[in-house]
Amino acid sequence: MSEQPPPDLEELRQLAAGAPERIAATSSTDELSDLETQLVGRASLVAAARRSLGSIEDPKERGATGKAINDVAVSIQAALDERKSALASAERDAALANDAVDVTLPGKAPLRGTHHVIQSTMDEIVDIFVALGYDVASGPEAETAFYNFDALNIPETHPSRLESDTLYLDYGDEAEEVLLRTHTSPMQARYMEEHQPPAYVVVPGRVFRADAVDATHAPVFHQIEGLAVDDGITLGDLKGTLAHFAKEFFGPGTEVKFIPHYFPFTEPSAEMHAYTNGRWIELLGCGMVNPAVFEHVGYDPDAVTGFAFGMGVERMAMVRHGITDLRTLLDSDRRVLEQYK
Amino acid sequence: MKLTRSWLDEFVDIPTEDPAELVRDFESLGHEIETWHLIEPEFRGVVVGRLLEVTPHPNADKVRLTKVDVGDETLEIICGAWNFEAGAVVPVAVPGAVLGEGFEITRREIRGVTSNGMICSEIELGLGDEADGIMVLNDDYPEAAERLGADFAEIVGLPDVFYEVNVTPNRPDCLSVYGLARDLAALYQTDLREPDFSLETGGEDNPVTVSIEAPDLCGRFSGRMVRGVTVGSSPHQIRWRLTQAGVRPISNVVDASNYAMMEYGYPTHAFDVEKLGDTISVRLADDGEEIITLDDVQRALRSTDLVVTDGSDAVAIGGVMGGASTEVSESTTEVFIEAAYWDPPTILATSKRLGLRSEASARFERGADPSFCPSAADRVAQLLVAHAGGVAAPNPVDVNPADTQPWEVTYPLSATARTLGVDLDGDTTADFLERMGFGVSGSDPLTVTVPTRRPDVQRPIDIVEEIARLHGFDDIPDSVPQGVGVGLPMQERRMRLLREVLVGAGLYQTMTFSFIGESDIERLGVAEGHPVTSAIAVTNPLNDTEGVMRTTLLPGLLKAAESALGRRNTDARLFEIGRVFLPGEGKLPHQPERLGFLLAGTHEGGEYDIFDGTGIWQTVADALALRDVAVQQTTEPMFHPGRCADVMVAGTAIGVVGEIHPRVTETFGLTGRVVAAEIDLGLLTMPRDPWTYRTPSPFPPVIFDMAFTVDASVPAAEVLASATQGGGEFVESVDVFDVFSGASVGEGKKSIALRFALRAPDRTLTDEEAGEVRRSIAAAVSSDVAGELRGEL
Repeated sequence: MSEQPPPDLEELRQLAAGAPERIAATSSTDELSDLETQLVGRASLVAAARRSLGSIEDPKERGATGKAINDVAVSIQAALDERKSALASAERDAALANDAVDVTLPGKAPLRGTHHVIQSTMDEIVDIFVALGYDVASGPEAETAFYNFDALNIPETHPSRLESDTLYLDYGDEAEEVLLRTHTSPMQARYMEEHQPPAYVVVPGRVFRADAVDATHAPVFHQIEGLAVDDGITLGDLKGTLAHFAKEFFGPGTEVKFIPHYFPFTEPSAEMHAYTNGRWIELLGCGMVNPAVFEHVGYDPDAVTGFAFGMGVERMAMVRHGITDLRTLLDSDRRVLEQYK
Repeated sequence: MKLTRSWLDEFVDIPTEDPAELVRDFESLGHEIETWHLIEPEFRGVVVGRLLEVTPHPNADKVRLTKVDVGDETLEIICGAWNFEAGAVVPVAVPGAVLGEGFEITRREIRGVTSNGMICSEIELGLGDEADGIMVLNDDYPEAAERLGADFAEIVGLPDVFYEVNVTPNRPDCLSVYGLARDLAALYQTDLREPDFSLETGGEDNPVTVSIEAPDLCGRFSGRMVRGVTVGSSPHQIRWRLTQAGVRPISNVVDASNYAMMEYGYPTHAFDVEKLGDTISVRLADDGEEIITLDDVQRALRSTDLVVTDGSDAVAIGGVMGGASTEVSESTTEVFIEAAYWDPPTILATSKRLGLRSEASARFERGADPSFCPSAADRVAQLLVAHAGGVAAPNPVDVNPADTQPWEVTYPLSATARTLGVDLDGDTTADFLERMGFGVSGSDPLTVTVPTRRPDVQRPIDIVEEIARLHGFDDIPDSVPQGVGVGLPMQERRMRLLREVLVGAGLYQTMTFSFIGESDIERLGVAEGHPVTSAIAVTNPLNDTEGVMRTTLLPGLLKAAESALGRRNTDARLFEIGRVFLPGEGKLPHQPERLGFLLAGTHEGGEYDIFDGTGIWQTVADALALRDVAVQQTTEPMFHPGRCADVMVAGTAIGVVGEIHPRVTETFGLTGRVVAAEIDLGLLTMPRDPWTYRTPSPFPPVIFDMAFTVDASVPAAEVLASATQGGGEFVESVDVFDVFSGASVGEGKKSIALRFALRAPDRTLTDEEAGEVRRSIAAAVSSDVAGELRGEL
C-alpha cells in the first residue's frame, strides 16, 4: 500500500459547498450521472479521502475525519438523489408529451354488424309479453290446411283459402293440403293442444300470402300471435293488455282505440288503432277466442275464456322508424343494414 | 260498399253534420271506413231557370235564342242544344258562374246577339257523362220548377259526402244503404224509415210460372212481371248515385235492378219475357252444359252449378250471371224480375270457378235475406213503373220451399260479463238487441228471436258481439292479467345469444324470402340427387323466381351479397337464420332452422378466406359453450374442393363452412373469394348443462415447443389431437404456432410447430416430469400420424 497524504478536509468542505450548485446546473439524468461519478464515484475526492483515512494513525482523529468525510458524502448524495428524481420526472413528462396522440383518430373497433330491424322489433315485442308472464313458442311455416283454417273456424268457403290469397305446396297427398301458413294463428290451436289451460303465449314467426311485392305488401312477412286463455279472461283484459303493449312499444302517452271487426276465430273481434306520429294507424287484429276454436282443441268453452291477437311486425317497425316502403326491409345494402341499431 | 251521405239521409236521421264524426260512428259499429271525401259541385253560380221562350237565332241556324226565367230576372241566352222546348226547367250558368277548373261564364256576343250565360249539360257540370243536350230537370227533379233562381247544387244534393265502407264478411245485411242505415239508427236510438214496397198494378195476370227442382240450393224464388216498359236512360239521381256506388249506369231496366240492390242489398235479375217464354225452372246444370252469359262468353257448366232454365235450356247461372239469350235489350217491353235465394257455398264455388265475382255473387255468397225476396222484386218493379213507364202485373210469383223463419237463441245474461267483463241487466240487453231488430222475451235467460237477415247470429257468443258493438268497446274497463310464464325460454335465450355473437363478429342479419327459383338451385351446380335439389314446389307461385321452397340458405345470401356489392358496398358480411324445407316423414315437410353466413368482397384491402369462416364458427361454438367441437376437411359440390370443412359437434357433422366454388360465385355475379357457411341450429340452441368450476392451479406452468415433420396431407387438427392425447393429464394448452413446408422439410412433408403449457394442480412440475411428457408426446405423434420430431427431445 502506497503512502497517501492525509485527507484534505478543507478541500472536501469546499467540494461539498460547491456541489449543490453544480448538481442544480445539470439538465439531464445522463449529465447528472457523470457528475455523480465525479463527486462520489471511485475517482472522486470523497473516495480518495476515504481511501487515505488509513494514513491517520490516531484512532480518534481518524474517526472524526471519517465522520466528516461521510457527512460530506451524504450531503452530496442527498442533493444528487433529489436532483435525479426531479430530472427523471421531468424527462418522463417530456417523453409522455412526446407520446401524445390525436385521440380523435379512429379507435381500433372490433367489427360489429346489426340485428335486422324485423328481428329486433320482434324481440322487443316478445319481451313486453314475456314480462307479462307469456311463454314463447314457434311453429311450422309449412302448415296443414287443418291448422291454418279448419281449427280456426274458417269455413270451407272462406275466400282467404283461395289460391289468390294462400300459397299452397305441392307436397303430400291431396287429402291433406299443405300450405304456407297465412298467419301465426295456427299455433293457437297447436299450443292449446299441447298445453292445458291456463295458456299465455306469444308466437313470433314468418307468414306468407300470395301478394306481389310492392310498397306495402310482400309474399313473406312476420307476425306475432298472442293468446291468453284462463278462467275469467274478458274483453277488458284484452283491451288492457294491448293498451299496455302500445304504451310500452310506442311510448307512455300512446292512445289506442278498438274498432269492432270480424275474424272467424275470435268473437267479438276488433282492430286496435294507435295514435302515433300525429295520426291513427291500424296496428293489429284481436278478439275473444271463439268457443268453436276451444272445441277444436279440446278445451271446455264453459270453463275458460281467452283472447287472441295478431300483429304485423313489419308494420310495427315501419311505423316506428319512419320506413315508408316495405321493400326497404328486404334490402341488404350496408347503408340500410347499418341503420338497424 | 260505396255510398253517399245524402242517400243514407233517406232512411235515417243522422244527428251529426260532421263527416268525420260519422266515420267514427260507423267504426264504432264495426264498419271500417276505407276512404271518405267531400263531393263538392264542380260549378259555382249555376241556378235553376225555366225556359219562357225558344226562338231561332236571327243570324245562325245551329243555335237558338232563349228567354230564361231565373227567378229575379229573365235572361236572353243562346243555346246550341235542341233537346228542349219552352217550359223546360234547366240549370243556368249566369254571368260570373264558374264551371270546372276556372271556366268563367261571361256575357258574350254570338253573331250579333248577346248571350247572358249558358244552359248546361251534365258533362259541363261534372254530373255525369250525358252529352246529348242540356239537363232537363222537369222529370228528374220536379221540385226544381218551384225553385227558380235557387242554387242548382242544392237541387242535386251537393255538397255531399262519399264513404267507402268495409263491410265485414259476417254482415251481408250491411251490403246496402238501408242495412247500414239500420245499424246507424240502432246506434243513434232513432227510427229507421221503413220503406214502402206497395205497388200499383194493372193489366193481365203474370203468365210466368216458376218451379224449383233443387229446393236445397234455391230456397226461394220470387218474381214480378212488368209490362209496357220503354228502355231508356234512368233519371239523373239514379245514375248519379249508382256512379258514386261504383256501378256503371246502363239502362233504366238494368239500373233499377242495381239501384234496388245498392238500396236494400238484394240482387235481382231481369229477363226479357218475350225471349224467355212463360216457364222458369231452377235446377243443377248438366256436366258440360253450356251457356253464353251476359258478357258474351260461352261457359261450360258443371253439375254443381245452379241454372235458371226456360223449362229446358239454361237462361242464367243462378245467383251469378244472366244469360245472353234472355237479356233485356232496347226493344224489350216485358220483363220478369227474379229475386231468388241461392245457397251461399254453391254460389261461391261457381263464381270462383268461372272467375265471375260480382256485386250480386258477393251478396249471395255471404248470405242474403230470404225473407226479402218478394220485396226485392217489388222494389225493382216500383222503379220500372216510375222510370220506365212500366205496369206491374197483379200477381207476384213466390215459390218458397225453404220457408226460412226467424230462429231463437237462448241467452243467459251472465254471458255478457263472462266475455266482456261488464255486467248488463236484462232491460239494457233487451234494448240493445231490439234496436238491432231482434225480438226479445223472457228475463234470464233471454229468448232472442233473430231475423233472417242475420245468418251470422246463431249462438250466445254472437249475441255478445252485438251487445259489445252497441255498448261500445271504449266503455269496457281495461285490466291487465298476469300470465303464468316464467320468462324467456332457454332455447330463445340461446338463439338470442347466437345472434348477438354473430353481430359481435361483424355480421349483419339479413332476411330473404323462404322461396327461391329453380334456377337458383341450378346455379349451385350440384348433381341431381344432392339434397338441395329436392325442393318442394309452390303450387301457385307468384313468379318463377319464387317457384320452390328453399332447401338451402346459400342462394338467398349469395343474391343478397350480389345486390349489396352491386351497390358498391366494399364487402358483404351477412347472416340469416331461417328455415329450409325438405321432404320429410310426416304430413309436413321437414323444416329445420339453420344459420347461414357469408363474407364477400374485401375488407381492409384483403379478401376473406375460409379461416374467417371457421373463426366465426369457433367464436359461435365458444360463446355457446359447445363441447366436442371440430372442423374436418370435406368436399361439397358448391364449395372450393380444397377449402371446405364439415362443422362437427360430438362427432356429427351439423353444417359446412368454406369458400364457395368460383364456378358458383360467377353464376351469382360475384368475384374473388366468397366465404359461406350453413349450419343446422338444432344442436346449437339446445339447452346445456351448467358448467362446473375448476380452481386454477397456483403453480407455474412448464412451457416448451416441439416441432414435427408429417406428411403434407395430415391435418393439423390430427397432430394437435395426438399431441394432446399423448401429453396426458398435465397438458393445459397446445397451440399450433408455425406450419411450413419446403426443401428443408422434404418433398410431400410439412413441419408443424406446437407450443405446450403443462401444469399440475398441486405442485410445480419437475424437469424430469416435463421430460417424461415430452417423450410421451413424441411417441404418440410418431405412432398416430407418423410425425417425426424435429430436433432433440
